[in-house]
Amino acid sequence: MSAVVVNNVSKVFNVDKPNQVDALAEIELVIEPGEFVSLIGPSGCGKSTLLRLIANLTEPTIGDVLVNGKSAAQARLDQDYGMAFQQAGLFDWRTVEKNIELPLELKGWDKAKRRARAHDMLELVKLPEFARHMPWQLSGGMQQRVAIARALAAHPPLLLMDEPFGALDEMTREHMQVELLQICAATDTTVVFVTHSIPEAAYLSDRVVVMSPRPGRITEIIDVDLGSSRDEDTRESDVFYDSITAIREALRGIEHAAVRGGVDDR
Amino acid sequence: MSLRRVMQAVVPPAIFGLVFVLGWEAVVKGFDLKPYFLPAPSAIWSAFTDNLDLVRSAALVSGENALVGLLVGTLLGVAASFLLMRFQILNELVSPLAIALNAVPIIVLVAVFQNMFASTSEIPRRLMVTLIVFFIVLVNVAKGLRQVHPTHLELMRSYAASPAAILTKTRIPNALPYLFTALKIAAPTAVITAFVSEYFGGRQNGLGYFIPSNFANSKNAVAWAYVIGACLLGLTFYLVSVLLESIIKQSRGAAPGGATT
Repeated sequence: MSAVVVNNVSKVFNVDKPNQVDALAEIELVIEPGEFVSLIGPSGCGKSTLLRLIANLTEPTIGDVLVNGKSAAQARLDQDYGMAFQQAGLFDWRTVEKNIELPLELKGWDKAKRRARAHDMLELVKLPEFARHMPWQLSGGMQQRVAIARALAAHPPLLLMDEPFGALDEMTREHMQVELLQICAATDTTVVFVTHSIPEAAYLSDRVVVMSPRPGRITEIIDVDLGSSRDEDTRESDVFYDSITAIREALRGIEHAAVRGGVDDR
Repeated sequence: MSLRRVMQAVVPPAIFGLVFVLGWEAVVKGFDLKPYFLPAPSAIWSAFTDNLDLVRSAALVSGENALVGLLVGTLLGVAASFLLMRFQILNELVSPLAIALNAVPIIVLVAVFQNMFASTSEIPRRLMVTLIVFFIVLVNVAKGLRQVHPTHLELMRSYAASPAAILTKTRIPNALPYLFTALKIAAPTAVITAFVSEYFGGRQNGLGYFIPSNFANSKNAVAWAYVIGACLLGLTFYLVSVLLESIIKQSRGAAPGGATT
C-alpha cells in the first residue's frame, strides 16, 4: 500500500470569480512508505497547496488524495500524519513537554503514557533537559526540533513539512537536516517536504518533485541516490553536486518555458 | 530584579516627590498663600490624619462601587466576547460600536441612571462602572479569542481537534493575556468612573462627593485629604491589576501572545 496517492488532482481557488486562481492542475504523484520526497519550485507553483491537500487542510477541486490507503479526510481524523510548519507554532503557555503531549492529549491518552512518550521524543530530538522549559526560552532551531517531536509524538507513519527550516540560519539548517534524516531513519517515517532550497532538497530526498507555476504542475521527478547513510561529507560528494545541478536545470527549464510562454501569449 | 535595579527604579522618583512636596511647602509658606487658595502639605497631612476614619469610610464606599462594577463588567464582558466569537454577524454589529463607545465620554449616562433609580441607591454608580468596564473587556478579550495564530489553528485542524478542544486549548489560553491587559486599563478607569459618578449626585457618601463638598465649604485642607484618599484607592486598583498582569507575563516570557493594548 502506498503512503500517499495523489490521483489526477486539480485545485482551483475562487471558482467562477474574477480572482479565480488555478493553483494545481492534473497532479499525479505516488509516494511509497519510507520515502523522503521533496516538493520544490518557484513561488506560486502550488507546492504548499499540494502538501495541504495531502493533509486535508484543503479539498481538491477535481481528483482525490489517498493517505495510507484511506481518503485524506479519514487519515486526518485518524491522525495518520504529523505536520510541521515554517514557524514552529509552539503554544506559548505550555511547557516544552506539554507542547509535545498536545496531539496525544487530543487522542485521549492518559497522563502517564503521554509524559513517557514526550520524554522519549525529547530524547530523540536531543533536548531531554528542556522538558520543563517554556518555548520562548529556546532558540529557533530548538523550537523547531520541539515542533518535529510534537509532529512525530503519536508515531504517525507520515510526516508533512512545510519549509520547516526556512526561518533558520544556514549552519543550524544543515545541522537540522542531518538530525531530521536520523530521526526519520529511527522512526521509519515517510516524509513529504516543501522547500525553496535546492541543496536542502538534494541532501534530504530520495526523490525531488520539481513543480512549475500557473497552474501548478509537476514538470520533472528527479531521483537522488546519495546512499543510505548521509553525513556532513555527503555535502562535498560528486553525487550531491550532480543532484543539485539536475534540480537546478529542471528549475531553469521552467523559467525558460515561462518566459517563452509569456512571449507567445502576447 | 536585583536590589540595585529596584533602588535605581525607586530612589530617583522618591527624591523627586520629596523635593516637590518640600518645594510646595516652601512656596506656600514663603509667599504666604492663603489656605483657600492652596493649603500647605503639612496642613493637608494633619487634615488627613485627623479625618482618617472619615476618609477611609468614604474610600471604602468608592472602592466598593468601583470593585462591584469592575467584577460585574468583567464577567459580562468576557461572556459577551464569547458570543461575539461564536457569531460572526454579532461581531460585525457590536465590535465597531464597542470601539466607538470606548472613545466617547459615556460617563454622562450616569445622569440618566440617577434618574432611573432612587436617590439613595448605589446602583447608578455601579451600573456606570459596569458599563465602562464591560466595553473595555469586551473589545480586548474578543480580540484575544479571535486573533489566534494561523499556524495554531492549522495544527489543531491537522489533529482533527473538536471545536470545544480548539476553544479550551487554543482560543481561551490565547485570550488570557488580553484579559489582563484589559483589566490593567479597566481597573483605574473603574475608580475614576466611581468618583465622577458620585460627583454627579445620589448618596452623599463617596470620595467623589466629599472632595467638592469640602471645597464648597472652604475646608480646603480636608478636601485635599480626600484627594489623598482618592490617589491611594486608584493606586491600589492599578497595582493589583499590574501585579496580576505581570504574573501571567512571567509565565509566558518576554514576548507573550497578547502583548497589546
